[in-house]
Amino acid sequence: MKETLMAAKAEQLVGDSDALPTIPTVATRILALLDQGEVNLDEVADLMLADQILTARALKIINSPVFRPSTPITSLKAAVVYLGVAHIREIILTTSLIDIFDGGSAGELSAFWEHSFGVGMVAKVIAGKAGYRDVDKAYIAGVIHDIGIVFLSSYHGDGIKRVQSRLDKGADLLAAEVEEFGASHCEVGLCLAKRWNFPDAYCEVIACHHDPYQATLDPVLCALVNLANLFWSMHLPDYGGWVSFNLATEPAWKLLKERCPELKMDEERFRYELEEAVHEVQQLVASIFTS
Amino acid sequence: MAISDKDFEQLRDFIYRHCGIYFNAAKKYFLESRVSHRLAATGIKTAAEYHALLSSPAGATELKFFMDEITTNETYFFRNPAQLKALEQKLFADIVEKKNKIGFRKLRIWSAASSSGEEAYTLAMVILEHRSTLFKDWIIEIVGTDINETVIAQAKEGVYNAYSVRNVPPHLKSKYFKEDGGKYILSAEVKKFVTFNKLNLFDDTKMIFMKSFDLIFCANVLIYFDLAAKAKVVQHFYNNLQPYGYFFIGQSESLHGVNDLFKLVHFPGGFAYCK
Repeated sequence: MKETLMAAKAEQLVGDSDALPTIPTVATRILALLDQGEVNLDEVADLMLADQILTARALKIINSPVFRPSTPITSLKAAVVYLGVAHIREIILTTSLIDIFDGGSAGELSAFWEHSFGVGMVAKVIAGKAGYRDVDKAYIAGVIHDIGIVFLSSYHGDGIKRVQSRLDKGADLLAAEVEEFGASHCEVGLCLAKRWNFPDAYCEVIACHHDPYQATLDPVLCALVNLANLFWSMHLPDYGGWVSFNLATEPAWKLLKERCPELKMDEERFRYELEEAVHEVQQLVASIFTS
Repeated sequence: MAISDKDFEQLRDFIYRHCGIYFNAAKKYFLESRVSHRLAATGIKTAAEYHALLSSPAGATELKFFMDEITTNETYFFRNPAQLKALEQKLFADIVEKKNKIGFRKLRIWSAASSSGEEAYTLAMVILEHRSTLFKDWIIEIVGTDINETVIAQAKEGVYNAYSVRNVPPHLKSKYFKEDGGKYILSAEVKKFVTFNKLNLFDDTKMIFMKSFDLIFCANVLIYFDLAAKAKVVQHFYNNLQPYGYFFIGQSESLHGVNDLFKLVHFPGGFAYCK
């Protein structure tokens, strides 16, 4: 019942917004092309080249140390081939998201994307350790998991400021959002993702990344993003409030251990390695916003 | 002398396996300069050859020299802000809540390897700042121990140079120190919470009497012990920690593979161990 109410509230928050952002035209055309069964990758690359900002951003995202391709990718064609049909779709959605929310205050947006790309990177690394079949999917799921937050910041900024002041006093993020908006960024994000036709597995991550046991399509993916979110929050603590955690008592870790019993982690070393990656993520975000 | 990324990573992994210190990429320059010293001293030509020596039984003596090069004994006040923030943000409150339930208002802290006292006194200052709120009417006991009597004497004296106090927030510096000719004299108000004693962490008969601590700190000491010695000392810390207490090590250290009983609690900028 509570979930239904929050979903309705989220619909209202998204629906009430004046001029709800739309995916850029070129991206829409590429997505439509990708939806057709037989896809010609040359055609996709040609279409992408028509939008230079989209192309530049896609290349920066794919080619950054954060994404870590096995070999450097220097051309858009190579990027399309490297990613394949499955992931070119997500990169386009991601670059579109950056486009759509490019109008907010620079500081807030940087903090948001530093969180998002960081979570993407960490999700990919944990996915590798867990033997998850598609580590790039984990990366993209990490990047887009908080779209509800960037939407709320852009369209309900005053409310988000009140949420932030509750966080500063030690409140829990989801509780503070529900108190303020009647729904959290998870329901709001899901609502947006559905409107933009995000693939179902990503919709589920957006909805369930704080509660992976609710997931039915790909609970492991939700758990990976959940843990990546926790770990990355240890390195950029200004985003989402000060939190601490004990892996042994985290439901997402329990879920992952159930599905991937061989998973082991040197937590201390992992933390030190992530500390090293902060600068790389900040550089990636700075480069994305420098046309 | 520049070390290639591959040699750096090999050396870093070797150091991590050997003593549990993680050298991040930002410290590559530091490691390069230290390796250069040792190459000059030993006449070895390359970092790769040096790494091979350290990894071999013949390198046992050189390993000691290398460890001395890469570890520093420096200590100063407010050395680990993330740790202090975690205490003030959550850990102090958690302990107070647990102990309030059993009606036992006494906080016991152990700075094990207290050196000249900076860590123990930092904690005393932080707690003093919560004296009228969180720790109102609480008994505070902070114990500093070290194997070296000279540093214990320095700790008891409580007189520091400008370098030691450089990280102390200005309002606390003026509140708790008196400056006298470039020296900083710690106030009796802080000193009265802390006692210092000589203790060898390998002295089992004494270690078992270091009982019932809520917080234990042991930074930059375990790195000098081999795995068996480390495991033994850490087990003492485990036994001497209250069930709801926390154990802290140094900023780049790791206890991975040393003790299976401790669980890690992650917080922004660091971590602690709990039962």
